[in-house]
Amino acid sequence: MTALTPITPEVLARAKWAFSTRRVRRKDAVRLSENLAEATSGDLVLGRVERIGSHKKIQLAEGRASELYVGDLVVLACGDRYAPDQFEGLAELDPEGADMLAGGGVLGRMRHRHARMSAPTRVVPLGLLTHGSGKVINLASYALHEAERPQGMTVIGVVGASMNSGKTTAVARLAHGLSRAGYEVAAIKATGTGAFGDFNAFVDTGAAYVADFTDAGMVSTYRQPLARIEAGLDTLLAHAARHGCEVAVVELADGVFQKETADLLKQPHVRDSFAGVVFAAPDALAAAGGCAALRGMGIEPAAVTGMVSCSPLGAAEAETATGVSVVTRDELADPAQANALLGRLVEGRDATQPAVAISEVGVAA
Amino acid sequence: MLRNVSKGGGAQTEAAKRAADFTLVKRPAKGRGALACWLALPAEMDPKATPLVAVHGIQRRAKDQAASYAARAAALGRPVIAPIFDARSWPRYQQVVRSGRADHALLALMSDLRLTGIWNTRRFELAGFSGGAQFAHRFAMLYPQLVARLTLSSAGWYTFPDTAAFPYGLSARAGRRNDWGPRLAAGLDQFLRLPIQVCVGAEDNLQDANTRSGAEIDRQQGRDRLTRAQRWAEAITAAAAARGIAPQVTFKALPGCGHDFRDCVEYGGLDGVVVPGTGPVDAAVVRGSAAGSGFSGREVMLQAGL
Repeated sequence: MTALTPITPEVLARAKWAFSTRRVRRKDAVRLSENLAEATSGDLVLGRVERIGSHKKIQLAEGRASELYVGDLVVLACGDRYAPDQFEGLAELDPEGADMLAGGGVLGRMRHRHARMSAPTRVVPLGLLTHGSGKVINLASYALHEAERPQGMTVIGVVGASMNSGKTTAVARLAHGLSRAGYEVAAIKATGTGAFGDFNAFVDTGAAYVADFTDAGMVSTYRQPLARIEAGLDTLLAHAARHGCEVAVVELADGVFQKETADLLKQPHVRDSFAGVVFAAPDALAAAGGCAALRGMGIEPAAVTGMVSCSPLGAAEAETATGVSVVTRDELADPAQANALLGRLVEGRDATQPAVAISEVGVAA
Repeated sequence: MLRNVSKGGGAQTEAAKRAADFTLVKRPAKGRGALACWLALPAEMDPKATPLVAVHGIQRRAKDQAASYAARAAALGRPVIAPIFDARSWPRYQQVVRSGRADHALLALMSDLRLTGIWNTRRFELAGFSGGAQFAHRFAMLYPQLVARLTLSSAGWYTFPDTAAFPYGLSARAGRRNDWGPRLAAGLDQFLRLPIQVCVGAEDNLQDANTRSGAEIDRQQGRDRLTRAQRWAEAITAAAAARGIAPQVTFKALPGCGHDFRDCVEYGGLDGVVVPGTGPVDAAVVRGSAAGSGFSGREVMLQAGL
């Protein structure tokens, strides 16, 4: 039988609760379980910072970053992470010390790291937070009520070539442009790792509703069952509709080759519900490859954006290679141009064919 | 500081009393690039009432716009908003997307006015006279979701739903990437579903110094405003039909009128076209408001608030 240690509210009040835990009712945490071997994704962990590594700050539930010090008590969620530019890791907790995989509050075991990343910040797990019943507190218990995908909402997907290709900026600018054009807009991140950077960027746009997968009870969507991620997206869209939103701009994290993103895009229920998909790319070659990959999934990109749009020459190359219009972030934020993009999608007249077959520029489709 | 200039009254019926009870307010521009406007605010504002945005012509007589529709709108609890595109800042506001972006300015004004509680609906009705009608139809093509009904009066020329290069049609101009014509075309289905009223003076059939002319535009649209209005209304009707959309386009030649806004209101009944549904208010109140000799409500110069 698992030993449960009572824990006082004073101790928990001293701890730094990460962004990923923001939906949890803190007073529910009354005991600590040392049975770390049974930890699963989304379980809440009370830990003590042992060594400051790559993450020198923690993103707090209150929405600000807090400097980390050795000895800090932190409440994080056990979880997986997939981040090619940072860490890849699993939802496993070593009692000797675990790895802070994301500043938004993901604790696990690092398997891979990008060459420029230093070692992760180490946290000693003191135990899993439990209810009075002894049941481990998991983010899923605090998720929005599950709901079916709403009818009549226009959903625009934003996917990209990789991390940092410009997806979040594209979502934010498009949400802002459409809001200025008079729409009630939802900005949603459907996959990824819990962090407040993107969430706050969406809030800043003035969108009527902002949510991410943590609102659907997942600290990270990496290695989660596809059905759960899909249901999470449906739930977020349903709640957006309840807030009066008529348009949703939805970001899928990482690149189109990332497993969960690719699997989602291949799902007819998801793919067909997108009125259109905008692709963010760092350069023309990535735009060509990404558009080819999307077409391979049966998706005709509605527009290309991202860092490639900052370069007129790059944008021209991308348009020639893909046959898809390249739009800048300023164009996405312009209400008339955002409206025109939406109009093209809604009216289904976005049937531009590639000016050059993708094989002609040497990219495998 | 508020200044009462005049008070109205004297109407006989309840509708006429409501119509008489409005305040005409000038709201200064709030910030650089912002629009000033004239507002006609009914004493009894219906929070569900759709506001009327009335856009002036190149004479910039925004006050006339607000005053001319005020009584009828007040009878229905509807505010009238008449933005002022001053000549210095907005020399080509009619084309909407030229430098300065008149569409952005109107969106910002409407956003401000929503914050102050002057309107609360999802959409507004949009009317324009002459250059204001040019602005109104292009704005509605860009943002059809914002417009509940469109009334165009005496526009000098139009953007047609055809393949001519923008601004005459909806194709891109030569050498332009991501031009405005295709952007307007993107929302064309939604635009064609709008109730659209096209009006023009029955005697507005002469080219004048303000009429844009040339072989290309004359061939596409005709030589004068009357012909152009007819052709555009026909083109919109045909475009809707071609897309399987039931057109809601009406055309009206205003009898006894040339190209004069006050004449179009007083003799042509333009106010009744723009703000229908007020019945007995017509004769009692409205005529005086349009004639330029005054109006029936209170006038307020607003320097603070709103």
